[in-house]
Amino acid sequence: MTAFVNATRIFFLGGIMSYRALFNWLSPWILIPSFLVGPIAQILLFAFLGRSAGVASDEFFVVGNALQYAAIPCLFAMGNTIGDERQEKTLGIILSTPAPRVPLFLGRAIPVIANGFLVALFSLVVGGAIFSIDVPGSAYFPIAVVTLVASFSCTGLGLVCAALSLRVRETAVLANVIFGVLLVFCGVNVPLDSLPEWMQSVSPWLPLTHGIAAARRLADGATFSSVTGDLFREAGVGALYVLIGMAMLSYFEWESRRRATLEVF
Amino acid sequence: MTVIEVSSLRRIYRTRISPWRRGSREVEAVRGIDFAVERGELFGLLGPNGAGKTTTIKMLITLLLPTSGSARVLGHDVVEDPRAVRRRVGYVFGGDRGLYERLSGLDNLRYFAELYGVPAREQKARIAELLELAGLAGREKERVEGYSRGMRQRLHIARGLLHKPEVLFLDEPSIGIDPVGARELRTTVADLRNAGTTVLLTTHYMFEADELCDRIAVIADGRIVAEGTPAELKSRVGEGSVVEVEVFGDAGSVLPALRALSGVRSAVVEERGHSEVIVVRAEPGAEVTQGVLGALDGISLGRVATRQPTLEDAYVELVESA
Amino acid sequence: MSAAPAASIPRVLAVGWWFHLKMLSRSAFNGILQILWPLFFATIAFFLYGIDGDDRTLLYASIGASVMGVWSAVSTSGSGAVQRERWQGTLELLVAAPVPLASVLLPVTTAMATVGLYSMVTTLLWGRLLFGIDVSIEHPWLFAFSVPATVLAIGMLGFLLSVTVVRYRSAWALGNAFELPVWLVSGFLVPISILPDWVRPISWVLAPTWGVRAIRESALGGHPLPDLLLCLLLGTVYLLVGVFAAESILRSARRNASLSLS
Repeated sequence: MTAFVNATRIFFLGGIMSYRALFNWLSPWILIPSFLVGPIAQILLFAFLGRSAGVASDEFFVVGNALQYAAIPCLFAMGNTIGDERQEKTLGIILSTPAPRVPLFLGRAIPVIANGFLVALFSLVVGGAIFSIDVPGSAYFPIAVVTLVASFSCTGLGLVCAALSLRVRETAVLANVIFGVLLVFCGVNVPLDSLPEWMQSVSPWLPLTHGIAAARRLADGATFSSVTGDLFREAGVGALYVLIGMAMLSYFEWESRRRATLEVF
Repeated sequence: MTVIEVSSLRRIYRTRISPWRRGSREVEAVRGIDFAVERGELFGLLGPNGAGKTTTIKMLITLLLPTSGSARVLGHDVVEDPRAVRRRVGYVFGGDRGLYERLSGLDNLRYFAELYGVPAREQKARIAELLELAGLAGREKERVEGYSRGMRQRLHIARGLLHKPEVLFLDEPSIGIDPVGARELRTTVADLRNAGTTVLLTTHYMFEADELCDRIAVIADGRIVAEGTPAELKSRVGEGSVVEVEVFGDAGSVLPALRALSGVRSAVVEERGHSEVIVVRAEPGAEVTQGVLGALDGISLGRVATRQPTLEDAYVELVESA
Repeated sequence: MSAAPAASIPRVLAVGWWFHLKMLSRSAFNGILQILWPLFFATIAFFLYGIDGDDRTLLYASIGASVMGVWSAVSTSGSGAVQRERWQGTLELLVAAPVPLASVLLPVTTAMATVGLYSMVTTLLWGRLLFGIDVSIEHPWLFAFSVPATVLAIGMLGFLLSVTVVRYRSAWALGNAFELPVWLVSGFLVPISILPDWVRPISWVLAPTWGVRAIRESALGGHPLPDLLLCLLLGTVYLLVGVFAAESILRSARRNASLSLS
């Protein structure tokens, strides 16, 4: 029982503390440009690009980019929490504690998921308002559920990123590249059937692809039950990345101890 | 000729409490200080952390504006004529920040040589000379990120001397350097002074100030509490002896009783390795050893010694009483 | 003894530019990102325009997309330029030096804009190799003037940005907020005529708008000279405003002790 309570505490407290320390995100000076201006700017850029090219509707771009922006906090925050702790030399201290590893690292994911979820919803509502998109009121709750699942699956990928940060020094660069890949491959802005075939075969294995497809159909008035398939696929992709990420974390932790690379940066 | 003149200099910092709320807190870092440094002098500002040393230096090198009072360096007012001051002074601070890590020591020096307007045709010779002085010759092409702390500090000094400043400000230059490096640093500083550069040095190491400085101002809590040559400062506590008692146990609780003894000027606890030592300074002519031991009855004691006062005793007493 | 002679400002600018260029080129990872990042956006533009666009539209997009990298290099790192010096502990040393702060900061952002040239070349090659967008240049001489003029003007805009956010401790977070809007409003990817009317004046005061127009006109055939002159004129205005802002910010920094972290 105590072990369980302890794990829960590590899960929540550790997570919130490291995330706060990282983003210091109570400051509106960081929150506003990163999470509010950023996604709206991206929606505007691509919606006008779509208009100029005569491709797809405003709604296509609003939904796609709003959901994709959930990925930003998930990728950066996860990768950076661990990378930064390595730089600040706190990682060695944490890893020398007997705390169980799974709640230790997954706990760091909870505030990240919540953040990604809120950013995506905000972008969806504001973006929708800017382009006066007519989303049925009943669709908002199901879209929120889809967003939450997509945030989870992005965090899974973020965890892989975090694990890599035990090895690679430039996690921010890595996260940026992944962000760009998601932007191109997941049907965020380019309709999937306009992509070359080899790219189309990669898309289903990335987070966001199924979530964005589901959210677009919901916005068009589809019922929740008709998108559950997409939703499960999205969650499945997320779970896959969480597993890979955890496996990599424990492997690298062991490796770092052997090769003493933990504090070398 | 007076090179640095400081009168009634004050500086208040205002800090915002939080980004969400209005309102601020005020801290008075320097509370009206006066001193003067003559040409060719090596003047020390000695004081504990947070006493106002760095704030004073930053006002003198024009990085901070005084809240009130005035300061002149080489006859130029630091508020009215900052550029004239900047061209004539050098500034070096301790620690390992303040360098472009990704570039070589040589690149760092070249860049600052340009900023200080060292003529192009003199740069090469001047930089070579300073690399020699700083003991970095041969390693100048390596990136700074690979330098040791001592090397970084010497590179800092070389940077501060590029334009042959008339006055050099050294802000705790020996922080974090090993004893050998610190000794070399003291030699370098002494050489500069002997070559005619006026130096204002801040430090919280007594022996450093004692060894180097012509005159010292002890600063505590934003005020100058004493000023004079090292010998003069020592003589203030020069008469009367110091009793040191090694104790094992709760030393702090007996201090009030010790201070109440007649003939006791001050009593403090110092950490020395694994034990604590109570240092009691006596009035001239007073014999306090018996009284002190009496007051320590019931505490387990180690070594007991009586000695003559040092500059450190003078300093501790000045700072304690501030 | 006499005071050091006054530094020559053109030399300080040139040496500073080279110094920062050298430093930027030392971080391979950041360099790679600097090149890859705009490529993702360019790729999307090429796909979208490729769906049923003609060659000329693609060429239009390719040239505009190539300038995106110059601005992203400047906006993402320019807003944090002063902050980086502060973290490094070099900001105080730069301020304590007897040259105007502007002459120290300007080379930082122009060096960044220069690095953006790599991204420009890469984007054009990317369009050429993967999407078959053939860039032929009608007026090579004017093109050769327009590119550096645009880079310089973007560097000046970055300089203005870097001094105006100097008191803002989380300035690094601003990069994102400035990067995409300028791409959009300056017409890098879409013609500014499709933007709402009230956006038009903002496009007009942004030098990149005229810079990218000059580059397009000289590549596709047209009259780039008026655009080129407007671009340089606006760059000069940014410079003057920036110099003025730098001095007044410095005064306030001396008053408020905001130069160092301590």
